[in-house]
Amino acid sequence: MGSFAGLFSAQAIADEVKKQGKKCILLWLCGAPSQFETWDPKPGTETAGPFAAIPTAMPGVHVSELMPQCASILDKLAIIRSMKTEPSEHFQGIDVLTRGDAPRPPFTRPILGSVVAQQLGQLDSPVPQFVLLDPCPEGNEFKAFKGGNWAGWLGAEYGPVRAGGEYSIPNILRPESIDEADHADREALRRFLSRKFENDQSSAAAAGYNAAFARVKGLMSCAPLFDIERLPADDRYRYGPGAFAQHALLARHLIENGSTFVMVANGMPWDNHVFQHEMHQMLVPELDNVIYQLVNDLSERGMLDDTLVIAMGEFGRTPWLNDARGRDHYAKAWSLAMAGGGIRGGVVHGATDERGFDVTTDPVDNRELFATIFTTLGIDPAAEYDLGDLPTFHRVEGDAKPISTLLNAG
Amino acid sequence: MPLDSPTRLTDLKLPTAVLAAAWLGDTELLVGCLDGIYRVDLDTASHRKVAAHASYVSSVAALPSQGQYLSAGYDGMLQWYDLATDSIVRSRNLHAFWSWDMTVSPDETLIASVTGQYLAGGYKYEPAAEREPSVKIVAADTGETLQSLSHVPSVQAVAFSNDSQFVAAGNLMGEIRIWNARSGEQVASWTTPDFTSWGIIKSHCYLGGIFALRFAPDDAELLMCGMGPMRDPMAGNGRQLWQRWDWRADPPVKRDETHKDESGEGLMESLAVHPHHETFAMGGRLRGGNLNVGFYRLSDGSKVGSLKSGYRVTDILFAGDGSRMILVGGQGQPDKDEQGRIADFGRLEVYDIA
Repeated sequence: MGSFAGLFSAQAIADEVKKQGKKCILLWLCGAPSQFETWDPKPGTETAGPFAAIPTAMPGVHVSELMPQCASILDKLAIIRSMKTEPSEHFQGIDVLTRGDAPRPPFTRPILGSVVAQQLGQLDSPVPQFVLLDPCPEGNEFKAFKGGNWAGWLGAEYGPVRAGGEYSIPNILRPESIDEADHADREALRRFLSRKFENDQSSAAAAGYNAAFARVKGLMSCAPLFDIERLPADDRYRYGPGAFAQHALLARHLIENGSTFVMVANGMPWDNHVFQHEMHQMLVPELDNVIYQLVNDLSERGMLDDTLVIAMGEFGRTPWLNDARGRDHYAKAWSLAMAGGGIRGGVVHGATDERGFDVTTDPVDNRELFATIFTTLGIDPAAEYDLGDLPTFHRVEGDAKPISTLLNAG
Repeated sequence: MPLDSPTRLTDLKLPTAVLAAAWLGDTELLVGCLDGIYRVDLDTASHRKVAAHASYVSSVAALPSQGQYLSAGYDGMLQWYDLATDSIVRSRNLHAFWSWDMTVSPDETLIASVTGQYLAGGYKYEPAAEREPSVKIVAADTGETLQSLSHVPSVQAVAFSNDSQFVAAGNLMGEIRIWNARSGEQVASWTTPDFTSWGIIKSHCYLGGIFALRFAPDDAELLMCGMGPMRDPMAGNGRQLWQRWDWRADPPVKRDETHKDESGEGLMESLAVHPHHETFAMGGRLRGGNLNVGFYRLSDGSKVGSLKSGYRVTDILFAGDGSRMILVGGQGQPDKDEQGRIADFGRLEVYDIA
């Protein structure tokens, strides 16, 4: 961890960050939202689209008219308008923007949530530390990605517990025919035998199985946490009726009750190659309200300083419209938003040109983004992974530095 | 058969995609584009920009009896212009959201405009109830609102009957409502599920709906078009679809629709009835297959001709004598060139169909 202190003005700040028990909610906008209809409108130009730009709480800063609520709290948000990344296809983009880097076999880089759960999570907690809330069982390329290895070399125990929508958590209720004492005895016997097998055989598979079993056992005790129906009706109304909004509220609830990282997705709805504006007229207002409610709720509960909220997809959309009323994939210049967790509010980092074709100021790539996320969460981005015979890998490669203007402690 | 082999006479490009067109005279057109309103002289194949909205122009119409023309836009505005000077005569902020479609009654006394933002109204993204009246009817001569009518957003298409007595409006969910245009009494309402998709593959939400409506010449039936359901609405590969409904039956009855093997894939968003009242045209986008403009017999629905225009067709006009057909639309907006310019991507074509 030698490089960690160098990222801060004082070791004391770093130590303080680590003690705070930070958490993270990732609003995963899979499919890739349009920066023009969200954070980087270009009014009066050929690329503007049909929606106007509106002023915000930050003088001189405008966002899409589809985001009036976020406009009112922009002093609490940090916007990066200068994301510039490489992959422009979904699977590769998802890989890079959820893991922080492109694949480099045979090393499987753990996904952001797995790293945060491993570094900051309470592994003895019955509450899952990394939760994926995704009510859409499909998702095209995201569906394929969901079938992959999320935790990578960290191991299955750091993978997500998936819930949401049709994904109720199965088999977590104790049958009535088995009482508490009997259940505890059975568990003790199972634990003894499997641990013995694990030790005798040096079996990673058995270790993984044991970890999974321990997690299921934990889930049995916290299943009500996942029940949207039990959330306060007023909260459910405020967040809005859509599946994504309801699961964003559930994310807040899980964070409040002990989860460390919650990723909220809903399939891949932002991939609007057709009907760009007809879809964004619905998706963006829902996102606008979700961010507004989340940030305000966390702030009112005194949790915003310790909870990082990230809203991003895997890239942006083209400045130009195709003939199907759509915008296509665009990784050269796109936007995302963050709030809380030590991220400085009221910051707009970077800029694009007049029509949004390219980044003109302070380009940010995936490595710098992940260095910023890890740093603000108190996780050393430069840490080396101990991988035996493999070459040296780092949590963030290339000695990437965090974006200092976004860090409260910077 | 005049529509089995149309011959292209004129091919014009405009700076941005054309979303609507109307005749201003035998040789002049009014077109509404992403960037404003243009008058197009077909004799000289020239165009000039005359006005704009704060957003896309969704509809244009002529009011020859009053020496005026009209436009409606994604800014929710309805604007009247003097035909001789192009100056704005009147403007009305009709809607808080887009005017998706606007039309003038054949007797030129009424204007109808439809609006509605699709917002999540339920867990599965059922459309939320309207926040403003989805259909407005205003007096063509004064701009006074005569009727504010209720529907479920988003309401994407509107049409007057040929006798100017009725107005029909269709929405995202395939629901059609018809009212007496003067009294506001609703006289018919039904839903056709065939134009709407609920996303399974990428997204859980609704997409599609009815994109154009036209009454048949005798007003007894209503034509509508859009795109058939898809597993992945983002693919845009639904069947090119029209339907014809007897709206006066109780309940309304579907009489016909695009015949099997007579369509490709892609959103259809324009309908026009030929002045001889024997055929109608449907146009839109080609996603798969070999046509994006089809011509069909009104009597039996059979296809009598087709075109592959090479761009998305957004509106179709026939000349009053039936000798010419106008197609307007847009290609994909190109990337900027080396000088930073974006090439013209609006299209207007004139076809000889005599």
